Amino acid sequence: MEMGTILKTLQDPMGIPFYPVVFQALMVLTFALHIMFVNFTLGTSFLSVYGYLKGGENWTRLSRSLAKATTVNISMAMLLGVAPLLFVQVVYDPFWYASNTLSAAWVMGFIFIMMLGYSLTYVFYLKRDHKTGGGFAIFGIIAFALFLLSGIIMHALGYQLLQPEKWLNWYIKGNTVDTSGTSLHAFQLPRFLHFIIPSFAMTGIFLMLYAWYFKNRADFDKGYLEWVGKTGAKMAFIFTAIQAVVGFWWLFSLPAGFSFFTNPFFLIGAALGIVLLVFLYNAQKDPVKYAVPGVLGAFLTIFGMSYAREALRMKYLGRFDYSIFNYKLNIDWGSTALFLSTFVMGLLIIGYLLAVAYKSGRTSGEYVATPSMNKWGKISIALLLCWIGIVAGLGIIISVRNYL
Amino acid sequence: MYPIWEVPNLTAGIILALIATFHILPSHFSTSAMWFNVYVETKAYRENRPELLEFIKRYSLLLLVFSYVLGSLSGIGIWYAATVANPRGISGLIHNYVWGWATEWVFFIIEVTGIFIYYYTLGKVDKKTHLKIGWIFAIGSWTTMVIIVGILSFMLSPGKWPETGNFFDGFFNQTYWSQLLMRTTLMFGISAAYAIAVATRIKNEDVKAFITKTASKWGIAGIILGSILLLWYLKTLPARPHELISILAPKTLKTGMIVTAGLLILYFIYAGMKPLSIRLIPAILAIVVIFGGIWSTERIREMIRKPYVISQYMYSNQIIGKAIPAKAVAAEANVINEKGILKVAPFVPEGLKEVNDANALQAGKMIARIECLSCHTLNERGLRPMPQMVKRLEFKKEVEKAKEVEEIEAFLDGLGGYPYMPPFMGTPAEKMALATYLDSLAIIK
Repeated sequence: MEMGTILKTLQDPMGIPFYPVVFQALMVLTFALHIMFVNFTLGTSFLSVYGYLKGGENWTRLSRSLAKATTVNISMAMLLGVAPLLFVQVVYDPFWYASNTLSAAWVMGFIFIMMLGYSLTYVFYLKRDHKTGGGFAIFGIIAFALFLLSGIIMHALGYQLLQPEKWLNWYIKGNTVDTSGTSLHAFQLPRFLHFIIPSFAMTGIFLMLYAWYFKNRADFDKGYLEWVGKTGAKMAFIFTAIQAVVGFWWLFSLPAGFSFFTNPFFLIGAALGIVLLVFLYNAQKDPVKYAVPGVLGAFLTIFGMSYAREALRMKYLGRFDYSIFNYKLNIDWGSTALFLSTFVMGLLIIGYLLAVAYKSGRTSGEYVATPSMNKWGKISIALLLCWIGIVAGLGIIISVRNYL
Repeated sequence: MYPIWEVPNLTAGIILALIATFHILPSHFSTSAMWFNVYVETKAYRENRPELLEFIKRYSLLLLVFSYVLGSLSGIGIWYAATVANPRGISGLIHNYVWGWATEWVFFIIEVTGIFIYYYTLGKVDKKTHLKIGWIFAIGSWTTMVIIVGILSFMLSPGKWPETGNFFDGFFNQTYWSQLLMRTTLMFGISAAYAIAVATRIKNEDVKAFITKTASKWGIAGIILGSILLLWYLKTLPARPHELISILAPKTLKTGMIVTAGLLILYFIYAGMKPLSIRLIPAILAIVVIFGGIWSTERIREMIRKPYVISQYMYSNQIIGKAIPAKAVAAEANVINEKGILKVAPFVPEGLKEVNDANALQAGKMIARIECLSCHTLNERGLRPMPQMVKRLEFKKEVEKAKEVEEIEAFLDGLGGYPYMPPFMGTPAEKMALATYLDSLAIIK
């Protein structure tokens, strides 16, 4: 069988319940958010250990904050990783499943590696002050190494996915098959580095945000915050510059036939990157002022790059005449409406939670909610109850109709 | 058909079952713990007992670390395990229920942001605001159960979905309500066991006694109501799974369920009477007992779904057994029987696509991997091991090898007659190859 034909037969016969462009957009958007927090995780995890070992008042204090931040960042990265994991299986199921089953043992290993890494991060955060002299650094170091290993696994799975022409060779040995799933078959250094280097640039921006966020808190020393902001801005600029170099390395390692350097998605992504670099150069003077537009600009760049990555995937898979836009459709308006309305409602509720966190973090003592915040909270609870009421009502109507 | 992952002695399915069972401990804890928390927190504020907040702090930290480190990751682990153990099964679910999962994901965001903020703002925001966050988490977290039970119960009892192909017809199926209410009540038993374990670490005796006594009441109510609802759930099961319980479920699993419930009720009664005497180790043992009970129940639920992975649609071995005309999906039996499973499945060595005398043994093994491996290990020992099964059927009485193979072929013809087995699918030559391979298994040792 031709690989193009194989890919078509592997597609799920159920089809997809809504237009592929919507799944694609959601996949790219949530991937961009996911990878941003992966970057925060790797960077804050690394820097928290670095600061802990380096010692001194500033570094120790920053290290403690970053160790705590790492625990939140991993959670966010996982949370935001669920969505692209779901959507990739909707439109790219043949590729995702083939790549995963070929390296199944690693796929399962990923989960345990992450469990261990995450647990060690908590040990490092909660127990670090129990022993002086860097005694707990080892937990942080192992955690960081495990996160990096998880990154290698995910990179390999994502890269194997792009090379259906090699799948049969990886799996079939003469007249038998390798069902162990213990090999990772593909790795491309510039591509991998392009996901990892931004960790340090993004963490630089994270530090700028930190300096901005705590600037009005009386219990934060001005000199300390200024140091954090400057360190962050420097990191952000240097690593964004390195990232640009790695980006071109990756670009030139791509198959020439793709002519990817003229691809509009790539051009937009690259332009955003260059604008960000110039912006970060200017940010050195006053990191606090540039913090909020900095993180927005960085996210926009990541989003642009994520679309470029998707465009590249379409190039790779177009070689086999695969296009998600030809996927069989079985439009289901009911469940689509359920998700979209829940999503909008969710944003309102999550907004409330984040607003409480934001305001309490900026207050030195106890934060007392304003009447409008109280109202927002009450509306959030009411919305949740309404949601349950509506869904239960729908369920009862359907159950009565179908079974009574 | 995708490449196959073979886990020696265990099968990939058992890896999935282990992770899924483990996941119930943190996930049901997550959906119920906050109800207990907001109850205690409200009491602390109303009766001006700030010392109770020590429990809140510890209990939420456990929730944060256990449910949102190991819980979240094992939840994702279920997906990953399903991906490598049964890719077409999870794909079938996702292509029907992607928006259901995406909806659950929205509540997952509310949970994760909620628990971090709840834990880190305790004592740093005013009481009413903190309670609001607690309520949002409690309701939001339970809602994830409202959604996932729809998808989970669909796999066993798809309701009217095979006829209509409609999302909600499958979601609100005949076992939806009974399973949702059963899990909802049982989760309070789980959170009570955790609360008692946390209380053992609290020095203040009044707080310890209060928490343990309250938890014991929640625990008793949860287990008793949950057991009653379990009986209702069993009643709502469709005929085939109901019949399979008596055929398949080993006595140990059934006994496991009953003993667990009994032990837990006794434990909660004792804890309620002598709240200060409970130590950490017995409290953890109680959680282990819960795990045993859940393991038994979930294993039975998995077993009675046979021969399907998605009931009335896809067999455990990922072959589509029944057409879903509403979605223009055809059954695969005819194509496979006509062209051969080795020709239809893409990840098969070229040299095995056409069966002949020389490759019969290898081709037979390949077929066994595709059609049998989801439930049977091909090793001597382990989960439903094929060699032992073949020996038990005693084909070896025949004098001639050819006769033995013929007899196994006849057995394969009748496979679909077993209520829990999918039929053999493939050409007559492939059936012969599989029979040859199975026959060879019985002579190895």
